[in-house]
Amino acid sequence: MEENICKGTPILEMSSIIKDYSNCRALDNVDFSMHEGETVAIIGPSGSGKSTLLRCINCLTRITSGKITIGGKTFVDGRPGEESKKRHEAKYIPEKELLDIEGDTGMVFQHFNLFPHMTCLGNICYAPIKVKHIDKASAEKRGMDLLKLVGMEDKRDEYPGRLSGGQKQRVAIARGLAINPKIMLFDEPTSALDPEITGEVLSVMKKLAENRITMIVVTHEMGFAKEVADRVLFMDNGSIVEEGTPDEIFNDPKSDRLKSFLSSMLRA
Amino acid sequence: MSGFTETMQYTGSLMPVLLKGTLVAVELFAITLVLSLPLGLPIALGENSRLKVVKWICRAYVFFFRGTPLLLQLFFFYFFFPIYLNVHPTAFATAALTFVLNYAAYFAEIYRGGINGIDRGQYEAAQDLGLSRTQTMFGIIIPQTMRMVLPPISNEAIVLIKDTALVSCIAVADLMKVTRGIANRDVNMTAYLIAAAIYLIFTYVLTVYLRKLEVHFSKYDEQGEW
Repeated sequence: MEENICKGTPILEMSSIIKDYSNCRALDNVDFSMHEGETVAIIGPSGSGKSTLLRCINCLTRITSGKITIGGKTFVDGRPGEESKKRHEAKYIPEKELLDIEGDTGMVFQHFNLFPHMTCLGNICYAPIKVKHIDKASAEKRGMDLLKLVGMEDKRDEYPGRLSGGQKQRVAIARGLAINPKIMLFDEPTSALDPEITGEVLSVMKKLAENRITMIVVTHEMGFAKEVADRVLFMDNGSIVEEGTPDEIFNDPKSDRLKSFLSSMLRA
Repeated sequence: MSGFTETMQYTGSLMPVLLKGTLVAVELFAITLVLSLPLGLPIALGENSRLKVVKWICRAYVFFFRGTPLLLQLFFFYFFFPIYLNVHPTAFATAALTFVLNYAAYFAEIYRGGINGIDRGQYEAAQDLGLSRTQTMFGIIIPQTMRMVLPPISNEAIVLIKDTALVSCIAVADLMKVTRGIANRDVNMTAYLIAAAIYLIFTYVLTVYLRKLEVHFSKYDEQGEW
């Protein structure tokens, strides 16, 4: 309680999140909140609901019931049983207002999803110009700053098809940052990369964490979670099983499931 | 030697008429392409529409125009306007209208395939950045389909060159019609050979041009990996 007062209101609040698919429950009554400037890592076996949780935050996946608030704006608040039966979906605010909130999150995808028909700078500037109505010159200036931040300024006019995976992911990070999101979401950002180039992406992310950019990172990189995260969540079977500082999670796991997960990760 | 000279003279005498017919065919080709290429896009988008009425109208349209012979459609409109609407367009105008409607249906299907072939991640990235559906479609999805739909469109364009010959069945003096007229009049096959050569040149020029266009549109994926 006291801790919350110190930090003010959370930037993100999710309560009683349930996500049902027609034949399974992907998220089972998940509660989660975080504060500005925090870096949260989500770990867990595949199929545990990590990515689903992340995708609920920017509405790529719509929840069945629960409440989500970003920066004080609640965009969904549905009780169990109120959802439209056909799609297992809670009622969301109208699409137009939802678009604004979607601009509050910047997502970095496992498979980059850069726009192949635009240059690196074009990828970064497109949304700021179209969505935030920033004029082209200042958008490009900011775009160049971001490219410098991720160490890609010499590739400004290159098309994504000619970049390596690590380079693509760094441009994708810059693109996410360009819309000045309240939260950056990373969905297994290094899983599609060759092991020797994951480092260049992780070091960019570390830099962001040091700059107190609010981030949630779904990852299999235990080293990164341990070193960079302020808080680590361990998910299994659609629930948050354990939550704590990296030290608590990695050096003093309580549950058997986390213990066995960590030991299997070590073996691999 | 005199046989050769005679043939050349005969050929030369046919050329003005054949070229006039060629011009008609080229005009029909150009009008069809210029109008049906853009017309296909709203139909394709309509087929994917969330509005059921729009979706079914567009699907029915494509079903009808792809499912019946172009020649039948040509005859249908040729008689439909004067008989039922008491409108008397020229045969060429009727032909152009029919071709545009028919080819728009084919292009719509090509576009639809291209749009559906774009990776879902592109939509997700656009949505996450806060782009609206319209911005996503026109700024992200459609520009990417250009490169994918170009080969099937090229194919249709080449088919179209040869389809123009169908208008010889109604009163349009295209290359095919004038050729047949000459061959019947002179009881001589030469005109058919010249016409074949003209169609081939037409196709060849188009093929070369379309290949250049394909190279142009593939400029951003040198590695072929998106």
